[in-house]
Order: sequence, then structure tokens, then C-alpha cells
Amino acid sequence: MLALSGILVWVILLLIFIFLGFYGRRWKKGDMSKLDEWSLGGRKFSAAIVWFLVGADLYTAYTFIAIPSSVFSIGAIYYYAVPYVAVTFGIAMWAMPKLWKVSKEKGFITASDFVKSNFSSRNLAILIAIVGIVAELPYIGLQIVGMLSVLTVMLSGIANIKLVVDLSLILSFIILAIFTYVSGLRGATLTAIFKDAIILISVALVIIVALVTIGFTKSFTGLPVKYYHILPLQVNAYWSLFLMSALALYLYPHAVTGSLSAKSPKSLRLSQSLLPLYGVGLALLALFGILVYGNHAALTFLKDTFVASSRGTYVVPALIFYSLPAPLTGFAFLGIFIGGLVPASIMAMSQSNLFTRNIVRELYPKMSASREALTAKVAMIVFLFIAVGFVFIFPLSYSVQLQLLGGIIILQTLPSLFLGLVTNKLNKYSLMAGLLVGLGLGIYWMEVANHFHAWTTTLLPISSSVGSLFIGFLALSANLIIVLVGSLVALPFRKKQ
Amino acid sequence: MSQNVTAMSKRSLYVTVAILTIIPFIALAIVPSYVRTNPEIGGLPFFYWYQLLWLFLAAALFGLAAILYNKYGGE
Repeated sequence: MLALSGILVWVILLLIFIFLGFYGRRWKKGDMSKLDEWSLGGRKFSAAIVWFLVGADLYTAYTFIAIPSSVFSIGAIYYYAVPYVAVTFGIAMWAMPKLWKVSKEKGFITASDFVKSNFSSRNLAILIAIVGIVAELPYIGLQIVGMLSVLTVMLSGIANIKLVVDLSLILSFIILAIFTYVSGLRGATLTAIFKDAIILISVALVIIVALVTIGFTKSFTGLPVKYYHILPLQVNAYWSLFLMSALALYLYPHAVTGSLSAKSPKSLRLSQSLLPLYGVGLALLALFGILVYGNHAALTFLKDTFVASSRGTYVVPALIFYSLPAPLTGFAFLGIFIGGLVPASIMAMSQSNLFTRNIVRELYPKMSASREALTAKVAMIVFLFIAVGFVFIFPLSYSVQLQLLGGIIILQTLPSLFLGLVTNKLNKYSLMAGLLVGLGLGIYWMEVANHFHAWTTTLLPISSSVGSLFIGFLALSANLIIVLVGSLVALPFRKKQ
Repeated sequence: MSQNVTAMSKRSLYVTVAILTIIPFIALAIVPSYVRTNPEIGGLPFFYWYQLLWLFLAAALFGLAAILYNKYGGE
């Protein structure tokens, strides 16, 4: 167990975090009974704030649990996260300002609002909203896995550890739900800046300590080739993973929420263009998965405490624990812990926006603005706790697969959203058919790739010369073919619609 | 005449920002170009540090494209 000084630092910082969460309500004050004040911070964030807010969506449990865990247990192929964050902002800096402009002009809050107006289809918009809500679930689930892992390492050795860890988690989510209800995106943004400052300092400290005491040469010694670089047969898996992840990020409702909170298209574009710098911390954290092989104490702890299938999840907390003195470990652990909480808050808010705007409002079109905001706030709480339940029900060893599964699902909305930003000539029925076929095939290929057992991979073996491909790429290809062919066939009939 | 000049410079602006944006995609999509161990830096294989370097290069290229477009290309 972490020494008392470490626990003390952890608790004090958590209290500051909670204070900031509530204080957010007063920051850049607005009328919180309006939905875009609550969930978009009134659309007045500067380039620097949006840089932090969208970056906060990057520094999640995906970054400090899922990726290092997979690099540790599988190898260099999971370094795909680095080229992914290098290029994803090249897409965002052009697509998102465009979405921002039409959203500001027409009062849109979600991507579904845009789809509904662009293709004049209520059903397509509802479908996109449902897909967005579902795709966020495994992503929030991943955040909770990360929070559990840091609590487990911090408290390892005490009696009734599972009960204590679970209770702490549920308590944290209750506090999170209350301050998100009160402060909305403002609270999430203030806490995001706090969390990222802590994480950046922690990553720098651990890297310096690890490089001085261990070094890469010692860490790589004795590891198989697949840890030095990917194997020639993994090339196709590698590009399909990173390019599809890059396309998927800004289809996620939480990334749309972050983008729409900017004060202008120009500040949004500038902030997106500079976000690859944020990925440097992600790359260093991925390397923790290698560095831990050089830290004898951390490696022994991992091997003695956890079974092989779940060991990876604890790599980063263990390396921190055995590299830094107790107070700094408490500092870093708090960063990782709230690094799961803050994104969970933003994600649940974006789910509740979709639910309220694109599902409830369709059923009750006369809903007043204040009733709309209230519905969204209550829905946010429900979605947070659905995700908690999700984690308690399903055993989650291969956490990165959770995020990749969300990716396969959300990618199927690409034709409606990204192609929709450049044309409104696509046929709405083809878009719906492509989306449903893409989802169906995606899930079917997941089953095939995993031999109809528990989902531990998102790569489908193609042939001995091609190797494997990311299922998201295959499903999106099928989807796009249906959308394009369907829209071409429907073209002559377009005027009659 | 002056309209032609504006149209021309608009076009060259679009081409410039498009090229700046696309370079990191092309460099990183050619995966076999960086599937190797040497040269290492401080024991870190080429595969890792090369892609890490691209985070900085991508930010520089995208940042330049954004600044040019924000300044000369309207919203």
C-alpha cells in the first residue's frame, strides 16, 4: 500500500479537484437553464482553453492504461496511437470549424442536429444519436477500468480491497455527477486543465527517473523483436488501426462537444492544429509499457499480484509506484484517477445532449428550453451510472479493445457527418442502410476474429500475405460502398423527392 | 485584373495548406519506411523515436497551415 504521505497528497488534491468542479459554475458565468450554456460552456472558449479541453479527451485511461498495457503485453503494434494522434488533428482542423460555423448559425448542439438538417431526415438523425450514445459506453467503461487500476495499486495489500475500491469508485462518481449537474462543461474544463497539469508533470518525472535509473537499452534487453518495431506482416494492421482511429476521434460526440465550445472557427482551427504536441505525453506513456521491463521491483509486483491477462492494466501505476517517492506517487495517481473522471463527465454530457436533443425532443417537440436543459442534466447522471454498471457486469481485461470497439461503431457515422460536411447530395436511405450494414458486419467480424469467444482482438486475419486488418476499416469500406452506390442509383429520382 | 490576382493567390493558398496538411499523413502511411531498429537514440529503436518526432513535425506543419489560412483565407 502507498505510504500515508502519498495517500494524504492524493486526498488533498482530490478535494481541490472537487472544489474546481463546483467553482466552474461561476467561471465565465452564463444562464445554466439553457442547454448550450450548460453543455457547451456558452460557446466562448479561447483557442488555449479548447486546446486543453479537447486534449483532455486524449489524456484518458486510453492513454495511460489501455495503450501502455497493450504495448507491454503485445508489443510495438499498439504504438499505433502515436501516428493516430499525429494525424487526427489534420482532419479536425478543417472539418470541425466547418461544423462550428453551421452549428452556431443554426443553433446546433450535436452532430445529429446537423445531420437532420443537412439530409432532412429525422430518422437518420435519431439513428446517428443512438449510435453515438452506444459508442461512448465502452469508452466510459475504459475510463472506469483505469480508475479501478490506480486504486487497486494504491491500496494493494489492505483487507477487503475489492470492497474499498468499489466503494471509492462509486463515491467518486456520485460527486462527479453532482458537480457536472451543477457546472456542466465549465466544471469539466477547469478540472481538465488541473488534471493535465498534474499528468504532464508526472509523466515527465517518471520518464526522467526511469531513464536515469534504467534506460531504454536495459529495458529492451531480452525482449522479442515485436517489441523493437512491428513485424512486416503487421504493416496493414498498423496503418488501418491508426488511420481509422484518426478518422473516428472527431465522430465521437464528446469531441464534437469540445469543438463546438470554441468562441470562433479560427481559434478552433488553431487549437486543433497544435494538438499533436499533446500526443508527446501519450507517446512517452506508451513507452512505459517497455520501460517497466527494466524495473525489476515493478515487474515482480505485477507478476506476483495479477494474472497474465490483466497484468498490463496495472503497468503505469506500478511503474510510477516503484519509480517515485510516496508523495509524488500520490500526486501522479490522483492525475490518473481524475484522468478517468473528467473525460467520463464530458462523455456522459455529450450522450445526454444526443438523448435530449435528438430523441426526447423528437417525441416532445414542444419541450421548453429549461425543460430541455433539465432533461439533459438528469440523463447525464443516468448515463454515468449505466457505464459504472457496465464495468461491474463485464470482466474487462483487454481494455484497449473497449475503445477500439467504440471506434468500430462510431466510424459508421462517418458518411453522414464528414461527407455531409462537403455534400448534401447523398441519399438518406443509402446512409441509413450503409450505417446498419457497417454495424452488422463490424459485429459479425468481431465474432469471427475472436472465434465467437470473449472479445480480445479487433483485427481480422485476411491472408498470409496481407496479414490482419482493423475491423473498423473493413466495416467502414462496406458502409461507404453502399452509401455511394445507393446515392448514385437514387440520383435520377432526387428531384421528385 | 485585381480579381484575377485574388483568385490566383486564393488558389495558391489552398494548394499550400493542402500540401502542409497532407505531408504527415503520407509520411506516416508509408509504414515500411520506419519498421526498423537502427539508428537508435539512447537505446530507443528508430521505430519509436521517428514517430515521436512526427508529433512535433505534424504540429509545426498543421500550425503553419492554420495560421496561413486564418490570416488569408477568411473563416
